[in-house]
Amino acid sequence: MTDDSLIAVQPAASQHKTTCCYCGVGCGVNAQVSHSTVIAVSGDRNHPANLGRLCVKGTALHQTSQSPDRLLHPMVNGVRSTWDAALEHTANGFRRIIDEHGPNAVAFYLSGQLLTEDYYVANKLMKGFIGTANVDTNSRLCMAAATVAHKKAFGYDTVPGCYEDLETTDLLVLVGSNTAYAHPVVFQRIVKAKAERPKMKVVVIDPRRTATCDIADLHLALRPGADAFLFNGLLSYLADHDGLDQDFINSSCEGLDAALATARAQVPSVAQAATICDVPAADLERFYQLFCATPKAVTVFSQGINQSSSGVDKGSSIINCHLASGKIGKPGATPFSITGQPNAMGGREVGGLANQLAAHMGFDNPAHIDKVARFWHAPNMAQHEGLKAVDMFEAIHRGEIKAVWIMATNPVVSMPDANFVREALERCELVVVNECIANTDTAKLANVLLPATTWSEKHGTVTNSERCISLQKGLVPAPGEALNDWDILCRFARKLGFEQGFDYQHPVDIFREHSALSAFENNGERDFDISAFATISKADYNQLAPVQWPVNAAAPNGTKRMFSDGRFFTPSKRARLISVTARFPKKPPNNGQMIMNTGRIRDQWHTMSRTGNAPHLMSHMDEPGVDIHPADAKQLGLSEGELAVLENLGARYLGRIKLNDGQRRGEVFVPIHWNDRFASSSRADALVNAITDPICGQPEFKHSPVKVSAYKPVWQGYLHTTQDLAPASDYWCKILLATGFKYRLAHNAECDWAKWLRSAYPQVNDWVEIRDSARAFYTGAGFVNGALVVALHVSRDGKDVAEHRWLDDQLGQPCDLNQRFAVLAGHGGSDVEDEGRIVCSCYQVGEKAIVKAIAEGAHSSAALGEKLRCGTNCGSCLPELNQLVNIHYLAKLATAVE
Amino acid sequence: MENSQRHSQRQDTRLELVIVGNGMATGRLLDELLKRGCGQFRITVIGDEPEGSYNRIMLSPVLAGETERATIIHKSPAWFAAQGIRFIAGKRGTQIDKDKQIITLDDGQRLAFDQLVIATGSRPAAIPAKNQTLENIFSFRTLVDVDTITSAARNAANAVVIGGGLLGLEAAYGLALKGVAVTVVHRSGWPLNRQLDATAGAMLQSVMAAKGVAFALSAEVASFEGDHTGAVNKVVLNDGRELDCDLAIIATGITPNRELGQDSDIACGRGVQVDALMQTSAANISALGECCEFEGETFGLVEPIWHQCVTLADRLCGNRLTPFRNPQVATKLKVSGVQLYSAGEYITRPEHREIVLHDCRHQVYRKLLLHENTLVGVVLFGDTRDGNTYFEWLSAAQTLPVQVSTLTLGKSFLTESTPVQLPQAAAIP
Repeated sequence: MTDDSLIAVQPAASQHKTTCCYCGVGCGVNAQVSHSTVIAVSGDRNHPANLGRLCVKGTALHQTSQSPDRLLHPMVNGVRSTWDAALEHTANGFRRIIDEHGPNAVAFYLSGQLLTEDYYVANKLMKGFIGTANVDTNSRLCMAAATVAHKKAFGYDTVPGCYEDLETTDLLVLVGSNTAYAHPVVFQRIVKAKAERPKMKVVVIDPRRTATCDIADLHLALRPGADAFLFNGLLSYLADHDGLDQDFINSSCEGLDAALATARAQVPSVAQAATICDVPAADLERFYQLFCATPKAVTVFSQGINQSSSGVDKGSSIINCHLASGKIGKPGATPFSITGQPNAMGGREVGGLANQLAAHMGFDNPAHIDKVARFWHAPNMAQHEGLKAVDMFEAIHRGEIKAVWIMATNPVVSMPDANFVREALERCELVVVNECIANTDTAKLANVLLPATTWSEKHGTVTNSERCISLQKGLVPAPGEALNDWDILCRFARKLGFEQGFDYQHPVDIFREHSALSAFENNGERDFDISAFATISKADYNQLAPVQWPVNAAAPNGTKRMFSDGRFFTPSKRARLISVTARFPKKPPNNGQMIMNTGRIRDQWHTMSRTGNAPHLMSHMDEPGVDIHPADAKQLGLSEGELAVLENLGARYLGRIKLNDGQRRGEVFVPIHWNDRFASSSRADALVNAITDPICGQPEFKHSPVKVSAYKPVWQGYLHTTQDLAPASDYWCKILLATGFKYRLAHNAECDWAKWLRSAYPQVNDWVEIRDSARAFYTGAGFVNGALVVALHVSRDGKDVAEHRWLDDQLGQPCDLNQRFAVLAGHGGSDVEDEGRIVCSCYQVGEKAIVKAIAEGAHSSAALGEKLRCGTNCGSCLPELNQLVNIHYLAKLATAVE
Repeated sequence: MENSQRHSQRQDTRLELVIVGNGMATGRLLDELLKRGCGQFRITVIGDEPEGSYNRIMLSPVLAGETERATIIHKSPAWFAAQGIRFIAGKRGTQIDKDKQIITLDDGQRLAFDQLVIATGSRPAAIPAKNQTLENIFSFRTLVDVDTITSAARNAANAVVIGGGLLGLEAAYGLALKGVAVTVVHRSGWPLNRQLDATAGAMLQSVMAAKGVAFALSAEVASFEGDHTGAVNKVVLNDGRELDCDLAIIATGITPNRELGQDSDIACGRGVQVDALMQTSAANISALGECCEFEGETFGLVEPIWHQCVTLADRLCGNRLTPFRNPQVATKLKVSGVQLYSAGEYITRPEHREIVLHDCRHQVYRKLLLHENTLVGVVLFGDTRDGNTYFEWLSAAQTLPVQVSTLTLGKSFLTESTPVQLPQAAAIP
C-alpha cells in the first residue's frame, strides 16, 4: 500500500520538492536524498510561502527523523506484536465497546500534524461508519476560536487574505502573535518588506515585549486578555472618527449597529479603553489613529487571541473592525488568522473537529449531514456534534468514553490540566496511539502503540495559513514496520467490516475523493471547493504545485484572496459584524498568585518529539525557563539563573529564572514544549486550568493563576551521560548533545551521589572522582575502555560547579590522565603548558620548561636554578640539568662552530 | 698545649672556627660562610668519614645504579685545600671543654676554638632484634654502606629491608633493581606511614610490588638467623613468619648523634638543644643539622637544615640575626616511576575538611586537608604535579584563592574563587 512509485532506494543523490512539517507557514523545502536518507534541506525559492527561506527548525528537518527513541514495531501492552495482531486487538476492543456502550463510547484524538488524507480517512471512518462525531484534534487547542469567528462573520471558515498582504500593507497589526518565534519565515518576509518600505508601520499588541517587537513602531503591552476591549474601543473610535467604510457596510455587511452599540456601551472612549487595557492613552490613540487613517491594514492574530475563554469574541472584535472599515478582500487589507500547525487548515477542510463535518460543512445544517452521508454511502452517519477536546478527556476520565485512538499528538503534555488527562488515559480501557517516537508521555500510556511514518516518509497534502495546499512528499522508505496513518486506519476499518469506502491504494485516491466532496452539491454555496482535483492523475498529484484554494473551474489556478467581490458565504451573502461583550479571563489571580502565560520558544516545536532529537535546536534555549519581571523576582526572592517552582492544580512546573523587563508585573511566561521525556517537572500545561471558550471549546492557555516561589535545592549540578536515563534528582532536564546527553539537576534532599552513580552505571568499573568530606560538592566520572561515558558535577550552592561547553564534546572520547582531570574540572584547562616529564621534583620543574628556559638563555644549571628554581633545593637533579644544558645548548653551540 | 697552640698562632689574628662533622649540613654551612666572605675565621672541619662532603640524599640513586658514585661528592679534600680550610678526616670529637674552649678528638688531639659548631649528624636507629651482629646486616647511611651493600648484593638472591620509611623504600628499590628479591618489613600497616595515609600507602605498596618489592606489614623483626659462615640467611618476624635472606638492611630511622654535647654537659634532649639562632646552652658553641633539636623537633630532611645553615652563617659572620623558623617540608620518594608528595598533615582528623581525588585506573590519589578554608595538608600519589602550588598555599596559611571543587585538579584546572555576586535583581533600584 505504500507509494512504491516514489519511494525507492536511490543511491545517487536526488532533489525533491516537499513541504516543512512544522508551523502553519507551510514552507516549501528542497530535500536532497541519498541512500534512502534525506541528507540536506534548503528553502524552495519557488514556493509562495517562503520564497527560499527556512527557519532554524526547518533547516534541521533532516536531523530530526533519526532518534534512538524511534518507534519501529507495533506494541500491544508493552510487548512487540504484528500489525495484524495489533489491529485485530484494536478492532476487537472497539467493536466490543461499541456493541456494549454505543459508538459514543469511542473517540479519536487527531492532530494538525496529520496529512489531509490521513485526517480525511479518520473523519470518514468515525463520523460516517462508526457513527460518532467524537473526533477532535489538537487544532482545538490552537485555532478553534478563529474557525468559529470566521464562520460567524463569513458564513464559512475562510481565511480571507494571503501572506503577500502582510508585505504590501501599510499597517501591520500583530495581536497575540510572537511571529518572530512562532512563524519565523513570515516574520522574515515582514522584516524585509518593512526594510524596503519604511513607511509601513508595525504595531504589536501583546502583554509581553517579545522578539517580534524588534520591528514594532508601537508596542501596546496590554493587560492580559483585554484584546476584545481594545478592538471594541477601535470600533467605537472608527465610528467616531469617520473611519467607517459606509459603502462597503451598505453593500456587504450586516450587524454593524448592534456590534457598535455594544462596543460603545462597553468602551465609550480612548481614555476608557486605555484604562481597561492598562496601556498609555496616547499610545492607544496613536494606534487607533493609524488604523483609522490607513486603508491598507492587516491584523494578524494567533494563539494570544485564540487561547482564551472568550477567543471567539476576540476574533470577532478584530474582524468587526476590518469589516466596518472595509479593510478586507483587498491587497494589503485583511484580518489574518495565522495557524500554529502545518495542517491545522487541512484538518478543518476535512472536518477534523468534533463540531465540523467534512469540506467545511457542519452539524448545524441538516442538509450538510445528509449530503455527506450520501456522498460517503455512510451506514452510520453521526447526527450531532461530538465532544471537543477538553470535554472528550473529561468523558474518558468519567469512563463514558472507553476507547480512544490518539494520532500524532501528545495530549498528556499539550492539554490543559495535563495531569488530569494523564489520569484519564490511565483509567481508559483501550488507548491506541499512532506515533513515530516510542516514549512520548502519551505513548507511554498506550495499550496499543502503532509505529507511524513521519516527515519525508509519509506522502500527502497539507494546507497552510493562507489556504495554500502543498505536497509533503514521501522520499525515503519507512523505518522498521512504520505505516502511514491513512493506511493504518484503512486496515483497521476493514477489520471492522467496512470493506468498501476504505480500499484506497494511494493517497491520491483519498485526495480525489476529498476534492469531489468539496464540490458535491456545492453550487458556490460553500467556500471550500477544490473540484479541479477531483480527477487529478497520480502523476500530477505526485508533482502537485502549491496552490491556494478554492481551485475550481472558475479559478483553475487557485485563489490568492477571498471576498474581493464583497460577497460572503452567508445566506445573505453579507458579512456579519458580531456584537461582542468583551470579557477578561475567567479566573483572575488570587492574592499572591501570578498569571502564567505560555508559548513557544524559537527553536522547538510543540512537545519536542522531533525537534528534541536535534542537539543544535537546544542551543538557543536548553532548559525550561520562567521569564519574570525583575521587580517581581526581587519581591519573591528569585534570582537570575536559579530555579523557580510554579504551582497550580496540584502540579508543579520547575524552570530556570530569566529576568526580563519585557514582562508585565505580575505575569510570568513559560514555554509549552518540555515534557517528561526531557524534564522531570516542566509540563507547563499541567498548570493550565481546563477553562474553555463556551462556543469553540478552546482552552485558556494564556492565563493561568499560579503560585510562584523559589525552588531551594539541597544539591544542584549537571550530568553528562552517553546513556539516556532518569536521574535520581527531584528536578532534571535533558539536553541533547552531539554524543550523549547533558542533564541539569537539582535535588531537594541529601543524596549519596557516588553510590547513585555506581548503581545507575553498573557496567562502569573505571571511576575517577573528587569527594569532599564537607559534602559541599561531588565530582565523578566513569569510563568504559578509557572513553568517557558519564560525568557528574554537583554542589550545594550550584556555584562550585560552573558549566563549560567544552565538556559537552567529551562524551565517548578516550581520556588520558590529564583529560580525566579536565573532565572533573568540567573545562579544558587554563592552557597551562604541559611541562613534560618532571626533572626537579622539589620544585616540580618539567623537562619542557627547562629546555625552553635553556633556549631563552639559561645556559647553566645555576642559571636554570635562578630562573626556574630547579636544582636549588636538594640538588639531586643537577646532573640531569647539566646534561640538558649539554644537549640543548653546548652541543648545538659546538655544531654551530664547526 | 692548647695554650701553646693558640700562642703559636698569635701572628694569625683570625678566630678559630671548628666544625665537628663533615656531612651535608657542614658542606652547606661552608658554602654559606664563604658566600659571606668569612675572612675573620680560620676554619677547621673534623670528619669521621674518610672522604669529603657528599650529598647523602643521593645514596639511594647510587645504590640503584642510577647515579655515578663520584658525582655526589661535592667537596673533596682538594677542595678543602683550595679554600684554605683545614680538613681533619677520619677523626671524631669526644669532649669539649666549654670554659677553655678546647675540643678533644678521639686520637687525643686538642684544638682550641673561638667558635665551635656541632654538626655530628645522626646514625641509624637501633632495633631490638636478636643477632644483629651477623654478617651482611647493614645500615644505609654512608657511602661505605652503599659500597658494602652493592658488593654483598652481587651474590644475593633474597634481601630483607627493615623499615618502610623513605630510606628503607629507596634501599629496597635499589636492591630490586639489582635483581634481588626484596621484602620490606614494616611496623605500620602501610609504608611511609609518617608521610602518607592508608589509601596512598596501599597504592604505594601496589606500585612497589610491581617493581619487585614485597612487603611484610604490621610486623617487626624478632631475630636474625645465620648460617655456618656467620652470615645472615633468615629473618624471623614477631608473628612467626620467616623470610629467607642473603642480606638485610636496617633502615628504621635515625638517632641524632648528641653524645659529644651530652658528654660535655651541653643541654640535650633527643638531640643537642639549640635556640632559634642555633646557639646551644654553651657560649660560642652552636649546633645544626640532624644532631640538633629545636623546640622538641629533630631533623632528617635537608630543607630545614639549609635554613639552619643560613641562620648560623648570618650570626657567625656578624652580618645579622636571622632566627630559624622550622619550615613546612614536603616529602618525596626517590624511586623511579613512583610519584608521591606529602606536606603538612596527612592523616585526616575530625576538624579537617578532606578533599580527595581518586583515580584507581591511573593509580592517582590526591588528598588535601583544609582547616577553616586554609590548606593544612597535602598527600599526592601518582601525579605530583602541582605539589609546589599546594606547598605555597600550605606555607602561606591563607584563605584559599581558588574554588575548593577544583582544588585537587591542580593549576591547569583551578577556578579562581569569585567574590559572592549579588543577585541581579538586587542591583535593580
